[in-house]
Amino acid sequence: MNERPVIEAIGLTKRFGEFTAVEDLDLNVQTGTVVSLLGPNGAGKTTTVRMLATLLAPDAGSARVAGYDVVREGAEVRRRISLTGQFAALDKNLTARENLVLMARLRGRDRREARVVADGLIERFAIADFRDRLVKNLSGGERRRVDLAAGLIDTPLVLVLDEPTTGLDPRSRQVVWSTIRSLIDDGVTLLLTTQYLEEADALADRVLLIDRGREVAAGTPAQLKAQVGEQRVDVIAADGAEFERLAALLREQFEISESTEQRTVSVAAPDEAEDLARVAATVAQAGIAVDEIALRRPTLDDAFLALTGHMAHEDASPEEVAA
Amino acid sequence: MTASLAFARDTALLTARSLRAVPRVPERLLDVTIQPIMFILLFLYVFGSAIHVPGISYKDYMLPGIIGQSLAFGVIGAGVATSGDMTEGVIDRFRSMPISRLSIITGQVMGQFCEQVLGIVIVVVFGLALGWHPHLTGAHAVELVGLMALAMFAFTWLGVLCGMLVRSPEAVQGAGFIVMLPLAFLAGTFVPIAGMDAVPRAIAHWDPISALVATVRQLTEGVHSSGSWQLVHPEIAMALWCLVILAVCVPLALRRFNRTLAG
Repeated sequence: MNERPVIEAIGLTKRFGEFTAVEDLDLNVQTGTVVSLLGPNGAGKTTTVRMLATLLAPDAGSARVAGYDVVREGAEVRRRISLTGQFAALDKNLTARENLVLMARLRGRDRREARVVADGLIERFAIADFRDRLVKNLSGGERRRVDLAAGLIDTPLVLVLDEPTTGLDPRSRQVVWSTIRSLIDDGVTLLLTTQYLEEADALADRVLLIDRGREVAAGTPAQLKAQVGEQRVDVIAADGAEFERLAALLREQFEISESTEQRTVSVAAPDEAEDLARVAATVAQAGIAVDEIALRRPTLDDAFLALTGHMAHEDASPEEVAA
Repeated sequence: MTASLAFARDTALLTARSLRAVPRVPERLLDVTIQPIMFILLFLYVFGSAIHVPGISYKDYMLPGIIGQSLAFGVIGAGVATSGDMTEGVIDRFRSMPISRLSIITGQVMGQFCEQVLGIVIVVVFGLALGWHPHLTGAHAVELVGLMALAMFAFTWLGVLCGMLVRSPEAVQGAGFIVMLPLAFLAGTFVPIAGMDAVPRAIAHWDPISALVATVRQLTEGVHSSGSWQLVHPEIAMALWCLVILAVCVPLALRRFNRTLAG
């Protein structure tokens, strides 16, 4: 790729007093790709995107958006980036539609054009049902949709979404995901922060795992998952004897790992529910007594365990990385 | 579009958005008007009978005072509203948009200013309804409106600055009353300064709210105050106070706003 990246950050650092929120972070987002910053609360995700959106000045390092420096050429950066924050960035005393019209007018549209733009977004983001309700009376999921729409008045060169689904119920999360997917299909360049491994996996081309302001691991979701481990079906036997039978039975048919201590046999489950059903049927047929059969997905915790453990060999002391 | 035109346009849009909240959050306007109205009722019908001010009815003495102090109380209304806005994400959205950053703050100030004007109008109308007869000449009326607008402008800026520094509406409200209530009581609003004990009298002589109260009283009732330079020349003192507040608050607010907002 010889094109310049849309976002290019080198050694980005931000301190709040004694606390280092972001430390020496490098970031590259190429045109038309989706990059996810994945990390727990307080990892420095929001601070990073706020620096990129010119809301915070970095203490060290530099960042360019479309070649413009975020500190010295803030106005140019703001013309090209659109940030949708972790907390709905809307006027809660205006209706959904009024918010969109206001944002469009602030972006230079006259009254009539602003209404046209707003109505287009209302249709695209399925806001029509609640377009005339005050934002303060909307549900979290509805608010996020309006919020996303407000960030897309002008097609930005790069869209930054800060934890777009944090605090949403699973159904709203699906709706927001499908909205984001359709944006990705339209070819938008996206930087996405999230606490959910699942979300990064579902949406991103590249993932940066960060913790305490530092990069812990980076790669495609597939590469990271290869390090974390796939989803699996865990079968917990009722007692030690049953565990022996269970392990022997499943070993014949599946790829397994076992933990005698926890009487657990783990079966790789690339096909999710289908694998779960097959394992359950096999166990039931053999009449083995089990306490639990469950499908488990690797969580952010698993990722940290796996990845920081892995990094510890090559890098800093284990305490420092794992803390 | 030239930069200054764009700035004026953005300011107008953001002022309008701020004003739209007025009918939708009526308690915000109520916050500004309920306190002076309670004071008017309390002092007119409960305490007032025990207070005698020579040469003037208590109603005509106290109502200009309430209006004067209400100008200063705008600082609390503007501070609470701004603090609330700053804790919402919407200001961040504006700041990350390609609009003049200055317009975000001027829009906030203009919106709050209009809300304060509305609050004062309600208080004045309430006073008139209770039978207050201000003795205003045309020239005095113009001067009074001009000075009142200047004061509301200055105290709105002070409030916006406080709202940006203290990012909790409750804290602004609490701290605002702790500072403003004593100053308002000392300002000769309800009882003449001359009768106060030495220490409160000394404070009252240089209390900025005293200048506001004395100005409104002088222009509406022709009552001249005395005791300190600012009470003898309340109009000049009031204008000076407002200019000082603006000279301090405007640059501070702009600096604060342009600097990174942590969090």
